[in-house]
Amino acid sequence: MARTLRELRPVRVVGIGLHRYQRAGDTPYVTLGLTAVREALADAGLQWRDVESVYNGTAMLGMAPTRPMLRHLGATGIPMAQVENASASGSTAFAQACLEVASGISDVALAMGVDKPGPMAIAGAKAGIRDLVGARVAPFTHFALLSNEYMHRYGVRPEQVAQVAVKNSRNGAANPYAQRQKVRSLEEVLAPPQISGTLTRLQCCPIGEGAAAVIVASDDAIRRLGLAASRAPRVLASVTRTESVYPGAKNFDAELTSETTSLAYEQAGVGPQDLDLIECHDAFAVEELLYVEAMGLCGEGEGAAMLANGDTAIGGRCAVSASGGLLSMGHPIGPTGAGQICELTRQLRGEAGPRQQPEARTGLAHMVGIGAVCVVHVLQRD
Amino acid sequence: MPELERQVAHPGLYRASGEQPALIGQHCTGCGHLAFPPNPYGCEACGAQPEALEKRELAGAGELAAFATVHLHMGGGIEAPFTVGVIVLDDGPAVRATLTCPTDDGLAIGDRVSSVLVSQGSDDEGTETVELRFIPHSSGSAEDSRVRGEA
Repeated sequence: MARTLRELRPVRVVGIGLHRYQRAGDTPYVTLGLTAVREALADAGLQWRDVESVYNGTAMLGMAPTRPMLRHLGATGIPMAQVENASASGSTAFAQACLEVASGISDVALAMGVDKPGPMAIAGAKAGIRDLVGARVAPFTHFALLSNEYMHRYGVRPEQVAQVAVKNSRNGAANPYAQRQKVRSLEEVLAPPQISGTLTRLQCCPIGEGAAAVIVASDDAIRRLGLAASRAPRVLASVTRTESVYPGAKNFDAELTSETTSLAYEQAGVGPQDLDLIECHDAFAVEELLYVEAMGLCGEGEGAAMLANGDTAIGGRCAVSASGGLLSMGHPIGPTGAGQICELTRQLRGEAGPRQQPEARTGLAHMVGIGAVCVVHVLQRD
Repeated sequence: MPELERQVAHPGLYRASGEQPALIGQHCTGCGHLAFPPNPYGCEACGAQPEALEKRELAGAGELAAFATVHLHMGGGIEAPFTVGVIVLDDGPAVRATLTCPTDDGLAIGDRVSSVLVSQGSDDEGTETVELRFIPHSSGSAEDSRVRGEA
């Protein structure tokens, strides 16, 4: 019988660390990664020798980046592997680390992500199947098309979609790790340059560099190493799904998110009404509206109204992308999914300072990646 | 008029002539799934092997389900702005294609569209390249660039 994460032994997040997401520069990836890992170790109160296994989400650095980075913490001989799952690379690294601890193979595992912008050679382009548009439909145009269809279907105006970027700019401005830390008005978000369809630059996520690190541990390890269990939320569900065949022009991004989230709710034993926080894949503004609906936070076509009511703001019913999301915190690819777990953990501990969602107990992290994949995790404090 | 050599920009995806050139899709004899573009590997719906897949012509007519004018384009082959659309073909599959109109002025979801061949110019040998695009029936903007199909 196959079993879910929750049916195995409990997995808890004991340490988190980040290197600020920033515009690509001269900082070596080793510096980015070590900064995040050292911060996570200090946060957990662990030594490097306590870590038994590493999964590193990365997509743009090239072959074998992990050991040349982590050897500088003192070579301990532990297993390490790079994990690539497009935008969900860091999420998949976290999923693997959770499975390893839950299964009993490791007591303490590190999931991290590190990246610097580089050549993004998408393998799918080499699949030997051509279509009519090729590079003419870049990711931003894919979402511009979805945006166009969404606005038409529900009578939503471009400025209502742009409000996603306004809200997330406020959140990002309160996050010292965010790439974009400026509060933006609706006017600024709507200002040119137009990128594609109604999407302007500030409704598209910046792709920079950075790192994020999450240490997960079993209850045995928490006791043995004397860690603070009160600061260690439990991972209730880890679900990954891939795209299947959907009829006609159906929005597969929303369908895939809906399927994946439903399974995660079932495994975690929670529903959308129980979520205090969601870290959402908002690479392009319209996605947040599509996904809060797909996740069942509100009815179809009600995402814009939910945003306008303040229900998805910090302090609202369910804070969506309190970190600033991909739109403001940024999307350095490899770290992004791990960075979402850092944010949820900080929030569930009540340590998020000016962007704290009051009385946050349950949070969900959601990433999609081209290919297409969707990865959802649910975390809950005791 | 001398016969001009003509090649298509996307070999194997559509016919190189005709008033509304057909697209070349793929029908699975195993489960009936109809796909565009065709692939040489196997059926995405049921996993049937390549020998179960047969070419199936799809009429170049359908309805516009979404559109977007692209202002930022990194690749070559076309100058921004241009407009792409999602077209649900009358024969079933949804396809993404370039529209004949550079911007979305006057376009509406639900517009009828049909396929046309648009000249991409000729090389030194006089071989002309044609590309399949979709023309919205509310617009005449592609008349100038349309290639006459051979009867």
